Amino acid sequence: MGLLTILNKMKQKEKEVRLLMLGLDNAGKTTILKKFNGEDIDTISPTLGFNIKTLEHKGFKLNIWDVGGQKSLRSYWRNYFESTDGLIWVVDSADRMRLADCKQELHNLLLEERLAGATLLVFANKQDLPGALSAQEIRKGLNLDEITTHHWLIQACSAVTGESLLEGIDWIIDDIASRIFTMD
Amino acid sequence: MSVASAERKTKKKGGGMSGLLRKEKEPVSEEELMKKDAITPDDVLRLKCSTEGYLCPPEANIYGIDFTRFKLRDMDSQTVLFEVAKPPVIEGSEEYGDGDDVDPNAGRFVRYQFTPQFLKLKTVGATVEFVVGDQPVNKFRMIEKHFFKDKLLKCFDFEFGFCIPHSRNTVEHIYEFPQLDSAEIQEMVDRPYETRSDSFYFVEDKLIMHNKADYAYNGGT
Repeated sequence: MGLLTILNKMKQKEKEVRLLMLGLDNAGKTTILKKFNGEDIDTISPTLGFNIKTLEHKGFKLNIWDVGGQKSLRSYWRNYFESTDGLIWVVDSADRMRLADCKQELHNLLLEERLAGATLLVFANKQDLPGALSAQEIRKGLNLDEITTHHWLIQACSAVTGESLLEGIDWIIDDIASRIFTMD
Repeated sequence: MSVASAERKTKKKGGGMSGLLRKEKEPVSEEELMKKDAITPDDVLRLKCSTEGYLCPPEANIYGIDFTRFKLRDMDSQTVLFEVAKPPVIEGSEEYGDGDDVDPNAGRFVRYQFTPQFLKLKTVGATVEFVVGDQPVNKFRMIEKHFFKDKLLKCFDFEFGFCIPHSRNTVEHIYEFPQLDSAEIQEMVDRPYETRSDSFYFVEDKLIMHNKADYAYNGGT
């Protein structure tokens, strides 16, 4: 039995999943986190640090980390890569001005060794806003089809209405589970 | 989370697993720990009851870590049960009021008064918010143990890891309330303030903060 098998077995027993949620500032990361957990979303201010939630979902113990996306905070993101099973990249679909910036930051993350084994979920958020780009347009804008190093999916969603948040989270957990917690 | 998960967490750190486990099972007393220069997570995991005193002085917190909000919600009814926030400190004013006879432990002890209904909750979400001073903090870890008399009701063990300088952070643990039978509930209601918790905070495996709380469940009776 190899070391990896043993480690996988230990993880399997705990069924603990660590999700890291990143994206540019004002993408809606904290709103997604709160809405997903049935919390009030009326008063959300910019995250100047992190917000963590630990919860049980589908038999897994999820640790979800939402780290602030302001430019001055992005250099700290690397401190949260360790042990990440899934990366959730949140995009403000109505922010056409910063789509190139958004693409660059995402592709930088995909080069990170400590995120090499992570599944990628892209949330094309703010679909409730008029003028929001579709998931298909975001997919092109972020060059997602170039990604061959990670399992990925793009999911259109709205943190405000809650639309498709569960679908996205369930997909990333299922993908992680099929990679890490496979029965032998 | 449970006692078991706390033990697993330590186990995961590897390196002499069996040694660590054996040591963990050996109970340790508050008196023994008070003789040590620095207290580690493994030390407090071995405590078998709530402590009488504090295991470090307030000055041990050299990182400016300050808890600014606590919130408890009932996940089943989606209602906030309890929320308390520390008012922001106004520049130039004294944080702890005036007078020289202020209890130095006032800021690290809280007394809660709940109704018996509280013990029947199923799933709750407990949020804490904290701020960090001007230095980065590495390997920040919280261990919180809840006891009724000498019975361990719950043990949280969570590693935040790195905290950004000047950051404001939150963590919410959503968890199943410990299942208690009606005799246990009655006993806890009948014995106010014998339910106690110790919150231990570590930076790089060294104890830097110790907060305490006690609880009564006889409110409204």
